[in-house]
Amino acid sequence: MRIVVAYKWTCDPQEATVRPDATVDWSRAKPGLSAYDPVAIEVARHLAEDTGAELIGVTVGGKGVATPLARKAALGRGLDRLVIVEDGSLAEAGRSELAAVLAEVIRHIGDVDLVVTGDSSVDVAAKMVPTVLAGELGWPAVAEVTSVTGQAGALRVERAIPGGTQILEVSGPAVLAASADAAAPRVPGMKDLLGAGKKPVELLELAALKVPTQNAVVTVIGRALPERKARKGQLVDTAHPDEAAAELVSALRQVGAL
Amino acid sequence: MSVNAWIVVGDQPTVGNLVTVARSLGGPVGAVVAGPRSVAETVARSGVDKVVWCNAPDDVPAEANASAVADAVAADPPRVVLAGRNPGERVLLGAAAARLKAAVLTGARSVKSDGDGVVVVNAVFGDIAEETVAVSGPVALLLDGGSVPTADGTSAPIEEVSAPPLGLKVIETRTHGFDEVDLNAAHRVIGIGRGLKAKEDLVLIEELARAVGAEIACTRPVAEGLNWMSKDRYIGSSGARISPQLYIAIGIAGELQHMVGVTGAETIVAINTDPNAAVFKQSDYGLVGDLYQLVPAVTAALK
Repeated sequence: MRIVVAYKWTCDPQEATVRPDATVDWSRAKPGLSAYDPVAIEVARHLAEDTGAELIGVTVGGKGVATPLARKAALGRGLDRLVIVEDGSLAEAGRSELAAVLAEVIRHIGDVDLVVTGDSSVDVAAKMVPTVLAGELGWPAVAEVTSVTGQAGALRVERAIPGGTQILEVSGPAVLAASADAAAPRVPGMKDLLGAGKKPVELLELAALKVPTQNAVVTVIGRALPERKARKGQLVDTAHPDEAAAELVSALRQVGAL
Repeated sequence: MSVNAWIVVGDQPTVGNLVTVARSLGGPVGAVVAGPRSVAETVARSGVDKVVWCNAPDDVPAEANASAVADAVAADPPRVVLAGRNPGERVLLGAAAARLKAAVLTGARSVKSDGDGVVVVNAVFGDIAEETVAVSGPVALLLDGGSVPTADGTSAPIEEVSAPPLGLKVIETRTHGFDEVDLNAAHRVIGIGRGLKAKEDLVLIEELARAVGAEIACTRPVAEGLNWMSKDRYIGSSGARISPQLYIAIGIAGELQHMVGVTGAETIVAINTDPNAAVFKQSDYGLVGDLYQLVPAVTAALK
């Protein structure tokens, strides 16, 4: 069995600043593995250990996704090897384009039985790359996956649904997006990180992959700061909790919130 | 009839908002339903012009019909495909977008027709900025699905298709013990974060909620990880986005990913031990202190 984890190397918008012209300044943000991707790696690693599968990390993106730091961060978590497409043009790519490139990488690797991804990326949070990827591959996708057991061809997948959980049998190749709480990711130790430096990394040229062109062209024609209500930012003195509570309740009644 | 907008639907007929947006773009509107026949029948009365229903065995989840949905959409290629935000519909929309080689946008605040294309005001990077984008060519939009349409509308014709489903089968469905909630319908909401030390302490919050007349919600780690509440109760960029009259953030630090979910709240109150917590700058009223003292005090003051 061959399992691919598709992960993202990117920055957290919490560390970005928005300029007055509504462009986003990432210069002070430190890139890292996207917040929920370590969970995906952990889920896939457990399955790989149980089944003896090969575990391959795949990422596609703009400059920086193939740096030694980025490689180690992914490989240190237990992936056997990496396949990376680093191309400046992908920094601004949309969901469909990224998914189409990922699909070509997965075809290039060949004989892949399963793709596991995180729940959403920390920066864009669209939750759509795994589903478009499945569409590109003609495979089914399942989101909010909380556990995966079994063998290729007969996987047992548990996923959260509104009001409960559901157990699915997956009989062919599939894309699974792991729920953020599907596993507790381990923190890589010194030995993991040292070992990571010796694992194979394959770099693919974007031009060498025959990625189909998109039918849509998206052009940014305006930017704005999101409208936010001005907040009062009033602190109520809490030296005496009862008095503070009374003051708060009275203020809330005055503004009609209660 | 050439369809201008397709709505893709899974197990829930929550398409109210999708129909409104699709209608506003002009031209015929179709719906493809991958879930049960009953959902197709409800959607047929929602104001769409036609419905395509994927007939598949009962033990097949909606996602297994993703290729059939993509086939139906591609057979009459639209300008726009729309879907609600639940996991099943994301899968169907992804399949349709891949087939059409469409752009995918997930933060649309407004969508307008513009000649052959559409113009979308789109929130980006967890809502820290907004971009207005012009799209030429097909676009797939993930939107809030909205309400279930009322049943008195006239029914659009339902066309049945059956295609071999992808390899997924439902083995078992289990319901969890949590009550279902519609946070968007609540006028007042209390959100709790990691500042609450134990699940048992929810009792304190429940007493306050009764006194205020509020629903209880939480940050993502409280629902996922701690598992103290169901996932439909967490607020934030990947969870619910609400605009209540009053939001009370208790033991919440004020991270961007949570706070974007409550920017529409009329009044925000924060209770937190850390005077430097980011939440206070994003609140109208702040109480710095121990929630275990302050919450019972506020509950008492309301009685």
